[in-house]
Amino acid sequence: MFLRTVLAEARKNIKQYFFTARALFWALALPLGNGLYLYFLYLPFGSRTVNLEFTSRVFTLDLAGFTLIGQLLYSFFTMMLLAGVAFDAERWQGTLESVLLSPANRIAILLGMALANTLSYVWLLMGVMFSWVMFLNVSVVISDLPALLASVLLSYLSLVALGMSLEAFCIHSRRAHMYVNMLQEPIMFLSGLIFPLQSMPEALLPISYLLPLTFGLISVRLTLLGGASIFDVAIPLTILGIMIIIFTASAVWLVGYAERNAKAKATLTQF
Amino acid sequence: MRGYSSAVEARELSRDYISARRNRFVGRKRTTVVKALDNVSFEIQEGELFGLLGPNGAGKTTTVKILCTLLEPTGGHAFVKGYDVVKEAKHVRSIVNMVAGGERMLYYRLTGRENLTYFADLYDVPRKEVSSRVNKLLELVGLSERGNDEVEKYSKGMKQRLQICRGLINDPEVLFLDEPTLGLDVNIAKDIRRFIREEIVREQGKTVLLTTHYMYEAEEMCDRVGFLNNGRLVAVGQPEELKRKTPSGFSVELMVIRLTDDAFEGLKLLKNVTKVIATEYVGETEGEKIDRLIINVESDKAVPAVLDYMSAKHCRVVSVNLRGPTLEDLFMFYTGET
Repeated sequence: MFLRTVLAEARKNIKQYFFTARALFWALALPLGNGLYLYFLYLPFGSRTVNLEFTSRVFTLDLAGFTLIGQLLYSFFTMMLLAGVAFDAERWQGTLESVLLSPANRIAILLGMALANTLSYVWLLMGVMFSWVMFLNVSVVISDLPALLASVLLSYLSLVALGMSLEAFCIHSRRAHMYVNMLQEPIMFLSGLIFPLQSMPEALLPISYLLPLTFGLISVRLTLLGGASIFDVAIPLTILGIMIIIFTASAVWLVGYAERNAKAKATLTQF
Repeated sequence: MRGYSSAVEARELSRDYISARRNRFVGRKRTTVVKALDNVSFEIQEGELFGLLGPNGAGKTTTVKILCTLLEPTGGHAFVKGYDVVKEAKHVRSIVNMVAGGERMLYYRLTGRENLTYFADLYDVPRKEVSSRVNKLLELVGLSERGNDEVEKYSKGMKQRLQICRGLINDPEVLFLDEPTLGLDVNIAKDIRRFIREEIVREQGKTVLLTTHYMYEAEEMCDRVGFLNNGRLVAVGQPEELKRKTPSGFSVELMVIRLTDDAFEGLKLLKNVTKVIATEYVGETEGEKIDRLIINVESDKAVPAVLDYMSAKHCRVVSVNLRGPTLEDLFMFYTGET
């Protein structure tokens, strides 16, 4: 029943939010435009490479690849934020009660929402990567394929786990979408998406290290563009693994707490 | 199967809504408590169609939401088929469903068929049965031909019929219907009432709790009714039994021209008149306004005295209608609403 609920929820959300030509167009156009903006921001400085310092080593990465990975991971992060807001949409369209009226597993519902956004992300991913590789000539340096795959997988799972926590938070709070939207810009800045982490003011670094996006960016950029091995990215991968456990556990706890709390305070339908 | 005496049982059910508001951004929060339900107890038997009646804000929807696990009570207990709606909520959810009035609880960008299939998955309806059950339900409510259209293209009545299909998708043992005909055309509402009474209750033998503030609807459909007023259950029983028990006896409906306040107040003091429930403006004749009075009298012998009194007060009675009490009279008697 768990898997059936996941797939049903995913199908519903894809049909609701992504299955129109207009939605597909904008899912592709917006991140593409945003990524190009980042790329061209660097060009006046005259360098086609970016130095990324990590654990006392300096990796020289291709600029186009640096911005590409940044944009792709950020787009996925945004997709997970949107998955979070999906529960809020259920509330305002009056369907949250009909979902919670069923005996379906709540975690399966959260996963289904995240899966729908993942599938639509694949479309975005293909489109953006094609454009980048075709027009910007990304220079890829892979020396450890398992390290790259582990980086992509753990980054993906950590962001899904974060998205599930946000979804559960949306059952709890009627203002959750506002908080979720407020997260976007600061995280874009703090995660090292636009510029390497070593350029960040030291006072802000502790906050950066709380974000799964930060470690996802480091590990994927280094393994895809810098030829890093599994040992070079062992620390970010371990932290991502810990974050997956923490965010999944918080989603499981929060969804139960949020539902009980909403039923106690009668906030399932009211705004 | 757990032993139980009633399909649905509410024991001293209470629900408070608490809202806290801070005055001008700072300062202490002011807390307001609204008692939506106050020690409500009732039972619904297997296969019974029970009507919960009351004016807006009486606590009908709150009761339904508690019974189908969407809201927690602040006091008391409730059981569905012997399962506690708070402690065994997951089990209760698998044997109940709820249909609300209005146009909520459906996905507008999905087709009718997709909506039903989605909910069938959530309720883990056996895969082999999903397609046939969806087709059967769509056919039952006359939506077979529109099943593949997006719900946003449906009329209000069609959406409501699809909602009923959604409510039946898990073949629930107990169905909660919260104002299912709210805002519908007369003919569509009549079809839906017939469907609930004939198909859901008589044919399928399901237990149904219906909330409504349309008295004719309750009179036409319900085996037993309960009157909720200000969160309290003020009467429960079969409509005929309540009519007999209620001191409203007979009702005299008068259409009166030139009714004065003095005459209206004096009516209440007449012998054998138990209650003058309402006076409302209903229209005009020959340039004069007509008021409608419903007067509860202990026996039909009081009618001549009432007419004599109206004549003595120079009020012109244009029509007299003597009838036994209706649910509407009971509603007004128990709730004080007109």
